[in-house]
Amino acid sequence: MNEDELISRHHPVNEDMPRQHRVWRFERVGWYTLVLLVILALAGLFGNGPLSDAQPVRTDGRIEVDYQRLTHTGNIDNLRITVRGAPGEQVILLLGRTLLQTASIETMQPQPQMSRSHGKALLMELGTGKDGIATLYLTLRSEHVGILEGIVRAGQASAVNFSTFLYP
Amino acid sequence: MDSILRAAGMYVALMLLFRVAGRRSLADLTTFDFVLLLIIGEATQQALLGEDFSFTNAILVIATLIVLDVGLSLAKLNSRPLARLLDGHATLVVEQGRFLHQRMRRARLTEDDILESARDSQGLERVEQIKFAIVERNGKISIIPRN
Repeated sequence: MNEDELISRHHPVNEDMPRQHRVWRFERVGWYTLVLLVILALAGLFGNGPLSDAQPVRTDGRIEVDYQRLTHTGNIDNLRITVRGAPGEQVILLLGRTLLQTASIETMQPQPQMSRSHGKALLMELGTGKDGIATLYLTLRSEHVGILEGIVRAGQASAVNFSTFLYP
Repeated sequence: MDSILRAAGMYVALMLLFRVAGRRSLADLTTFDFVLLLIIGEATQQALLGEDFSFTNAILVIATLIVLDVGLSLAKLNSRPLARLLDGHATLVVEQGRFLHQRMRRARLTEDDILESARDSQGLERVEQIKFAIVERNGKISIIPRN
């Protein structure tokens, strides 16, 4: 900016150009911050995007969980649990920890053959297909803010831990 | 408690966002600005009320916003630096018939914007007829004509 325009005038208004420059700089930096925020939101920082999709798999490949790592409170999220068992036999699944205690389960497909409480967790029995795979689709909704953790266990040895962060 | 915190959070967030947008953003409402304002209002309303559409909640939210707004204006009354910080300063953009181009650029103003204000408020045709043009704290452009 040329020298003359930098000088604060005192007539007809009292200017404070150094401060005005700070204001303009704040606007500029703020704009870039908002652009960054929009790009990150597109990438899924606030849910539903590559940054947010998570798919932890148990090392033996028995359990697979598809869920949103980042979401916000009041949002309805899908949780898909795939379990490998023996063809035609039932698998027993245990869902527990804070995620499944504080979030309300809006829908559950298919309905398990049996479902009961197990301490603070939920125990259910699912039928498998010819390929020995049982899939459970849940939609969850939580008013909680912060980190929620979940565990899916099939039998004694196989368990998948996962956690999700809820923005306000 | 929830709705109070939500309203306070939204107040601060909106204040920051509009500070980033600058004072000019909503100063002269075009049709598009008006629609934009409505959309912003709609988006805000959802977050403010959540799923509680009760009378009590609405009153609590409104009361919180008024408390904050009046509180802030009282604080500005008592503290000049705070008022300067929140409201900014008026800035000259035309001086003795001469555009101050770099200032205009920073304030996102074009020559046309200033000439439009000059025609609108003073019936002036050329920049030479303007003694001072000032971007006020609320984003409006004041024109003082040359004698």
